[in-house]
Amino acid sequence: MKKLLLSLFGLDEASLQDPANIVGIVLTFAVWALVLALFLVLLFKKRFQIHRWGNKVWQRTKLLIQTGWFLLTNSFMIGWVKGTIYQGSLKYVCVPGMNCYSCPGAFGACPIGALQAVLDEFDVSKSWFDPASGTYIQAPLYWFAFYVIGFLMIVGALCGRLICGLLCPFGWIQDLLYKIPVKKLKLPRDEKRINGMKHPGTVRFFLGVDKYLRYAKYAFLVVMVIFLPLVVKANPWFCKYVCPSGMLLGGIPLMSRNEGLRDAAGQLTLLKLSIMTFTVVLSMFLYRPFCRYICPLGAIYSLFNPVSLYKYGIDDSKCNRCKGCYACANACPMGVDPVKTPNSPECIRCGTCNATCPQKAIHAGFKMKTVEGNAIRTHKHK
Amino acid sequence: MQKQSVFTRYIIPLLLLLVGVGFVVYGVTDGEAGAVLRKAVAICMECIGIG
Ligand code: SF4
Ligand code: SF4
Repeated sequence: MKKLLLSLFGLDEASLQDPANIVGIVLTFAVWALVLALFLVLLFKKRFQIHRWGNKVWQRTKLLIQTGWFLLTNSFMIGWVKGTIYQGSLKYVCVPGMNCYSCPGAFGACPIGALQAVLDEFDVSKSWFDPASGTYIQAPLYWFAFYVIGFLMIVGALCGRLICGLLCPFGWIQDLLYKIPVKKLKLPRDEKRINGMKHPGTVRFFLGVDKYLRYAKYAFLVVMVIFLPLVVKANPWFCKYVCPSGMLLGGIPLMSRNEGLRDAAGQLTLLKLSIMTFTVVLSMFLYRPFCRYICPLGAIYSLFNPVSLYKYGIDDSKCNRCKGCYACANACPMGVDPVKTPNSPECIRCGTCNATCPQKAIHAGFKMKTVEGNAIRTHKHK
Repeated sequence: MQKQSVFTRYIIPLLLLLVGVGFVVYGVTDGEAGAVLRKAVAICMECIGIG
């Protein structure tokens, strides 16, 4: 039992002499018990009936799920107290969301970091020094990251961006930041005319910028997560030069408790702190800017939205769009129109539209028909 | 309205799921999980902005 406990927490016999470690272990179990109790209550007491709850209750419930998941996967209390990280074998396994593995509380590996780590490995026997360029040419050890891509395929094929909506720590942080009461930047629906009126020129401009900037996350994925670590090597490029999550959940807590790390801070720290601050501030005004424009993990899951098992769908026989109802599209924080594209790559499956629809015409799940026997349309409206 | 087929609704995601499982199994046997662990158990200097 003791052995199992030690290996679970990545500790050795001697480390039990330190009372801080014992307290950390007890605290971790306390958090796990609390979160499991919360999830059980959510699951069994009020069955998931977003339609009946309405949006207010759903938003609160969603926040509880997100917080619970963050606590469950980031509750290595020894790390938070001492400014160290978890080193046990649970880190073989990736977590589904954007969750830096250098976060002091993290029990799992960040899939984007893991993807770069595998592609960044090089084969010593096939690497050589090139005198012409004066550089060491490193041949990749793995040309394809089967383990991590396979994991992402499993999660993506099961539920697509539902992970973004409910189980991503950095998404949760952005949701919390957006709750800060400041004036929000919310673009109107992306349509040529609303009630016969054209959008003003500036709105059209920002709608266009938003639309094209959303493709940037695919560029980050291809260039900084795949191409550069595989070919240029030497760095997990996305983690090093972009990821604000690593700085916020890893860098700041670790540096605040560790003098050696603080002393080692330099220009790169400044760059990453600036990116993080910019993201944090922007998240108060604009809903999830990182998820919209940058996140390579969101980019991967977005490809699975149209083909995942768990899907959004519309019961067209109930939908009041023909009478001019746009309640869902107006409520969507990501600017998606679920009636037009129920499984848009931009949809983070947050459930807001579902909880808002006055006609209960939006369905989320695995079925092709409603309980009344109506067809659920999951493809685009023609 | 265009009819939805069971193939696109269920078979494609299940096939993707199976391929994913195959990839994970292959990756583990090829030592990729070890590479993930090695990276994840040491403080990632790049991630925390030290380099
Ligand atoms: S887009 Fe990225 S950061 Fe945002 S919720 Fe999805 S995985 Fe998390
Ligand atoms: S379409 Fe619905 S589930 Fe998707 S992001 Fe918008 S509100 Fe959330």
